[in-house]
Amino acid sequence: MSVDAVPVLQVRDLRTYFNTLDGVVRAVDGVTFDVGRGETLGIVGESGCGKSVTALSILRLIPPETGRIVGGSIRFDGRELVGLDEAEMKSLRGHRISMIFQEPMTSLNPVLTVGTQIAENVVRHLGVSWRQGLDRAREMLELVRIADAARRLDEYPHQLSGGMRQRVMIAIALSCEPRVLIADEPTTALDVTIQAQILDLMLELKEKLGTAIVLITHDLGVIAETAERVVVMYAGRKVEEASVSSLFAQPMHPYTRGLMRAIPRLDIEADTAGRRPRLQEIPGLVPILTRPIPGCAFADRCGFATDRCRAERPPSVEVRPGHEVACWETARVAEAA
Amino acid sequence: MSTAPVLEVQGLVKHFPILGGLLQRRVGEVRAVDGVSFSIARGETLGLVGESGCGKSTIGKVVLKLIEPTAGRILLGGEDVSSLKPGAMWAHRRRIQTIFQDPYSALNPRLPSGTLVGEPLENFGLARGAELGERVAKLFERVGLRPDAMRKFAHEFSGGQRQRLGIAKALSVNPDLIVADEPVSALDVSVQAQVLNLLIDLQEEYGLAYLFISHDLAVMRHISHRIAVMYLGRIVELTTKRALFEGHLHPYTEALLSAATAPDPARRKRRRRIVQGDVPSPAKPPPGCHFHTRCPYAIAECRTLAPPLIEVAPGHHVACHRRPVGGGPHPLSTTV
Repeated sequence: MSVDAVPVLQVRDLRTYFNTLDGVVRAVDGVTFDVGRGETLGIVGESGCGKSVTALSILRLIPPETGRIVGGSIRFDGRELVGLDEAEMKSLRGHRISMIFQEPMTSLNPVLTVGTQIAENVVRHLGVSWRQGLDRAREMLELVRIADAARRLDEYPHQLSGGMRQRVMIAIALSCEPRVLIADEPTTALDVTIQAQILDLMLELKEKLGTAIVLITHDLGVIAETAERVVVMYAGRKVEEASVSSLFAQPMHPYTRGLMRAIPRLDIEADTAGRRPRLQEIPGLVPILTRPIPGCAFADRCGFATDRCRAERPPSVEVRPGHEVACWETARVAEAA
Repeated sequence: MSTAPVLEVQGLVKHFPILGGLLQRRVGEVRAVDGVSFSIARGETLGLVGESGCGKSTIGKVVLKLIEPTAGRILLGGEDVSSLKPGAMWAHRRRIQTIFQDPYSALNPRLPSGTLVGEPLENFGLARGAELGERVAKLFERVGLRPDAMRKFAHEFSGGQRQRLGIAKALSVNPDLIVADEPVSALDVSVQAQVLNLLIDLQEEYGLAYLFISHDLAVMRHISHRIAVMYLGRIVELTTKRALFEGHLHPYTEALLSAATAPDPARRKRRRRIVQGDVPSPAKPPPGCHFHTRCPYAIAECRTLAPPLIEVAPGHHVACHRRPVGGGPHPLSTTV
C-alpha cells in the first residue's frame, strides 16, 4: 500500500457511552470507518443517531463528567488518539484536526476581535509572532473571501452576518492547514443562498489545502452535493457505507431507503394528475438507547425484519465493491427494489 | 357558501419602529412587510417562501392579528377584519387557527394533553362535559394519537407527536384557514413525512386552506398549490407550484432554486448559479428593486424604481423590470 492510500483517520469499533439518570446511553455503539487523505466523508443520520458524538469523540471533547469512550480505536496519521494525554490532544486540536460547528455565534468569543481569534490559534500552534499571526489572519479572511479583510480583522462577531461568522470559523479552523476538518452541520443555521456559498467555499479550500473533510449533517441533499463517501448512522451504529453515487443510486439498508423516500423532492414534480402524493413514512420511533439492543437497531421499524434481526446484531458486510451494509436481509431488500 | 376567498390580503404593510437614544425616540423602522397582496381559496395551500428576514413570519402574525398591520386590509371570507379591536375580532378567531414550528413551547407543560386540545372548544363554547371529552378523543384519533394519550403531558410526547397535538388543537374548532409557520422544520425527516401527509389528508378531508410558511423549497413543492417568493418584505414572484419550479421568472427565485440542494449526486455536475453576498438589512433596504444589489441581471432602472408585481401570464405574477408581460421564461442575459 502506498503512503497516499493510508487513511488519515481510522475509526474502529468506537463506543462512546453517557451516564444519565435513566441509565447508560449508548450514543455511539461500535462505529467503524476510514477517512482518506483529502477526502470528503459525509456522516448522515437523524437526531440522536450519534453522528455528533462520533465527531466529538474523534476530537476527544466528550465531557468527562457524563460520558466517555469505553472502547474502540481512533487512529490519526497512524497515532492512537484514544488514551492520548490531554496536552498532546491540545496540540492536535485546531492544528492537525479542526472542527466547525452549526452555530458560529456560540463558538466565537463575543469579546475578542475576529483577527485576535484567528491569530491566537496560529500563534499557539505554529509558534510565530503575534504580528505574523495577524498577517496570517488577514490572509485567511481573504482566503474565505471576506471582502475588506484588513478592516474586518478589528470587528467583533456580532458585527458580522451569520454567513460571515461561519466564514470566520472556517478561517480559524483552516488557519494551521489541518489534515482533517470536522464540520458538524456547518450550514444548517444558514439561509439557502448562504449555505450554497459556504459549501462551495469548503470544497474549494479542501482542494486548495488538501484537507480531508468529515461532513456531519441530517440533510441528504447536502450530502449528495458535497460528499464523496457516506456513512449512514442509526441509533449509534453505522448501518450503511458507500460512495455517494452508489448510495443514492442503490441504497441497500431499509433505513436508508426509508429516509430517501420520506424526503420531499425539490427536483421532481410531486403531483400526479393534479394530486399531491403521500410521502413514504417510516413507522414508529427511534429506539431508546438506554436499553440494550441485541439485534438490529432498526428491526422494530423495518418491514423486512425477522426473528434473527431482533436477536442478533448484523455485521457490516461489503455487498458491492466499497458498499457496505449492516443488514441480515440484504438479498430480500435488494429484490424488493 | 360564499365564493369569497378564505383569506385576502391587500397592500399589507408592517413596519416595526427602531427606538434609540436616551428618550427611546423612533430613529428608524424595519420594513418587515412592505406592501403585500395575495388571496387563498378554500382547500388551497399558499406557500410563503423566503430567507430569514423576508417578512414571511410577520405576515403570518399579522394575518392572525397577533400584531396590528401598519397599513393594508385583511379580509376573512370577504369580511374586512383589519381594523377590528380585539373584542370584535374574537368572533372571527375560530375561523383562523395556527400551528407553530416548536410545538413544545406552544403547549402548556402543566396541563394534560387532552385538556390542551380541548381548550379552543371550551373557549368558543362549542362543547363541554362528556361531549367535549368525546370530541377531543376523536381529534386524537384523527391526528394519529391514541385516545389514552389524553392523560399525558406535553413532555411525554416526541417532537412529531407534539406537532400532532398542535394540529389537533388547531383543528378542534373547524377553522377555514390554518397558518402554519415552519411546522416541520424542527422535525427529523422520517417524522416530517408523517406530519406532511397528515396535513395533506386533513386539508382534503375538511377543505382547509393553509398559509404555509417555510424556508424549505422541497417541502413547498410537496405541499403547496401556489407559492409566493418573498425578498425583504415584498413578494417578488407568485404563481402555481408547477410554473414556479418549471418556468420561474424572477432572478431571486432562480437564485433560491439553484442554491437549494437535492438528494441527487448527478445534480452536482450542473453548473450552479450561486448568488453572492448577504441579504441587506430590512432596516436599510436598497432603493429600487430590493434584490438589485445581488442580481446579476440588474439594469439602471432596477436601482431606482421598485418594480410592481404584475401578472405577466395567467396566474403568474412577477416583480421584475426585465420580465415584461408575455416575455416568457427565456434565460435573461447579464449584459444589456
